[in-house]
Amino acid sequence: MSISETMQSTARDLLISGQVQRVIGFEASPRGRVRPAIIDRPEEAERLVWSADCTHNLTVYLQRALNRDNGHASREPATPPARVAIVVKPCDSRAINVLLAEHQFSREQVFAIGMACEGIRQGAPASAPEATLQERCLRCRERVPVVHDVLLGEPPSALPEALPDEALAHVRGLPPAERAAFWLNQFDRCIRCYACRQTCPMCNCPTCLFEQEDALWVGMRIAPSEKRAFHLGRALHLAGRCVGCNECERVCPMGIPIGLLNRHLAETVESLYGHRAGMQAVLSPVTGMLSAEESAP
Amino acid sequence: MKTLSRENLNLWLDGLAAQQSLIAPHLEAQGVFYRPVQRAQEIAWEADRPALSAKEFLFPPSERLLKVEKRGPDIRLEVSPSAAPQAIFGLRPCDARGIRVMDAAFLETPPIDSQYASRRENTLLLGLACRSMGASCFCTIMGLAPDDPRDMDVMFTDRGPTLAVQALTPRGEALLAGLPIVEEPGEVEPASRREVGGLPTAEAWKESFGDARWAKHGERCLSCRLCAYVCPTCRCYDVRDEALPSPPGEAHFERLRAWDSCTREGYRLTAGGHNPRAAAGSRLRNRLLCKFVYYPHQYGPAACTGCGRCLDACPVNLDLLEIGGALQEAAQ
Repeated sequence: MSISETMQSTARDLLISGQVQRVIGFEASPRGRVRPAIIDRPEEAERLVWSADCTHNLTVYLQRALNRDNGHASREPATPPARVAIVVKPCDSRAINVLLAEHQFSREQVFAIGMACEGIRQGAPASAPEATLQERCLRCRERVPVVHDVLLGEPPSALPEALPDEALAHVRGLPPAERAAFWLNQFDRCIRCYACRQTCPMCNCPTCLFEQEDALWVGMRIAPSEKRAFHLGRALHLAGRCVGCNECERVCPMGIPIGLLNRHLAETVESLYGHRAGMQAVLSPVTGMLSAEESAP
Repeated sequence: MKTLSRENLNLWLDGLAAQQSLIAPHLEAQGVFYRPVQRAQEIAWEADRPALSAKEFLFPPSERLLKVEKRGPDIRLEVSPSAAPQAIFGLRPCDARGIRVMDAAFLETPPIDSQYASRRENTLLLGLACRSMGASCFCTIMGLAPDDPRDMDVMFTDRGPTLAVQALTPRGEALLAGLPIVEEPGEVEPASRREVGGLPTAEAWKESFGDARWAKHGERCLSCRLCAYVCPTCRCYDVRDEALPSPPGEAHFERLRAWDSCTREGYRLTAGGHNPRAAAGSRLRNRLLCKFVYYPHQYGPAACTGCGRCLDACPVNLDLLEIGGALQEAAQ
C-alpha cells in the first residue's frame, strides 16, 4: 500500500468509527499542486495524498476548526467538530505543542496523523522530479513528529548532515548599519496583504495589534514605518513560538525573507534560554502573562 | 504595419524617462515587478507578466486625501496636489484592461474620484503584446487577447530587431509624432492564443449565492488579501483619519485611504459588532460575485481581466477557474 493509500484508510477509519468528525490533510489541486483538504465524510478520504510537496502547515486550521468563539468566526456550518484529525510533519507538530501550552485547545481534541518526513521539495509543481529540498528541510534534523497519535511512513535510520544556516550567519555578520539597511529594505517591499500572518498557526490574536481600528499603535498606511513596525512586531511576538515551518516566507508575494528573521529570534531564544519552540508543550520564556504582578496593587 | 527599430525605441524611452517617471517591468531578486526605471536598458523585455499588476501607479496602496491643520480656532484643509506625469511601458493587455475597469468606478460613475482622475489624466499607457499566454492566464475567457491593444495609448509588438507600433488614442498619436517610424508591408503576426474552459454566466454566478460549496471553499481560505492585492481590478479601500506629529499648540491630522479587501475578516463588520460576512466562504463568494455580478451591474465591465495572478498567488491554491468551472457544470 502506498503511503497515500495508508493515509486514506487511516482517515476513513477515523471518520467511520466516529473517533474524529473531521480530517485536515492534503489533496492534489487541478493545477498539479498540493493544497490543504478538509474532509468530514469517509468517502472523501480518497482525495487525500501525501508527497514531498505537502508544504503547508495545516495546524493553522486547527483553532478555526475547533473553536467557534475565538473571534475567528470563519467557518460554516455552525457546529464545531468535537475532535479533529490532522496530518502533521515534524515541524508542524511542534505548532500543536505551542498551541497546547497556550491553551488554544486540548490534546484530546486533536488526533495527530504524524508523517515520517524526509523533507519537502522546493517549488509548488510536482512536475519537476529533479527539484531539490527546501533549504529549511536541509537544515532540519527531525524526522518524526513530536506530537503524533499514529505515525505513517518509515523514518530513515541514518540522517544526512544538516546544512549550516549560511544566510543567517551572513546577515548576523553584517555591520549594524548594513544589517539595518538590509532588513529595512526587505520590509519596505511589503504590501500588507497579511498572507504571512494568516498562514501562521501562531498568529492567532482575535484582533491583530497592527490592525486595531483606532490606529493607536500602528496606522493604516501601507508605507515604510508601518511595514517596519509590522514585521519587527510580528517577529518579536513569535520569539520562542515560531516552529520554523516557513509558511510566512513561502506565501509572501514580495519575496521578503521573513523566515530568516524568525530564525534569528529562534536561535537567540535558544542560546539564551535553551528553549526550542514546541519541542514540548511549554510556553515561550519570552512571551507570557504577568500572572502574579497583575493582581498586585 | 508601422515599425520602429529597437535602437530608436530605446533612445525614445530614455528621453521619456528623462522627462517624466517611466514605469516598466523590472527584474528584481524576487521576480519581475512594474517599477520606475531610469533607462530603457533596465527593462525586463523577456519577462512573463509581472508579479503584481500596475494598479498601484494609479491607485497607490495608501495615499493622503486631505491634511487638516488646527491652530486654535483656525482650521486649514489642504487637498493633495495633482499627480505628476508618468508613462507605463511594457503594460500587458490584462493590466491595461484592469485600469479601464477601475475607470468605470472612479471616473465614469459620479462622484469622480479626483485623486484617481489626476493620476489617470497624467498617465500614458504604453502596451507590449504578450507573445503567448502563460500557464495560468485566461484573458481569452474575459474577451481579451494576449496582444489586445484596445485599452492602450500606444501598443508595441516585439519582433526582434524592430517593434510594430500602433497608436490608439490622440494622445498616443501625438506621442509618436516625429519618431523615425517605418511603414513595412504585411500585418503584425498575432500572438498565440489558448482557449481556456468557460466560466459561468453572470446569472449563474448570481444563482450560486446559496451554493453549499462556498462554505467548503471558505474552510480552506485563510482570509488574507493576497488575491485582492495582486488583482488588477480589486479597488476597495478603507478611509481613516490619523493624527500627525504636530508643533506645540497645533493639532495636525490626515485623512488617508489604503487598500482593503472583502476577503479580510472585518471587512463587513458594522457598528455594534454584527458581521454579515463573518464566514470566510461568504467573503470569498463576495469577491468573486463582485467580479462577475455586482461590479458589472453597478459599473458596466466585469472586474476580472483573466490575468491569472490570483491562481498563482493563493497560498492554499483556491482557484477561480476551478470554482467557476464547477458552478458552470452544475448550472448546465
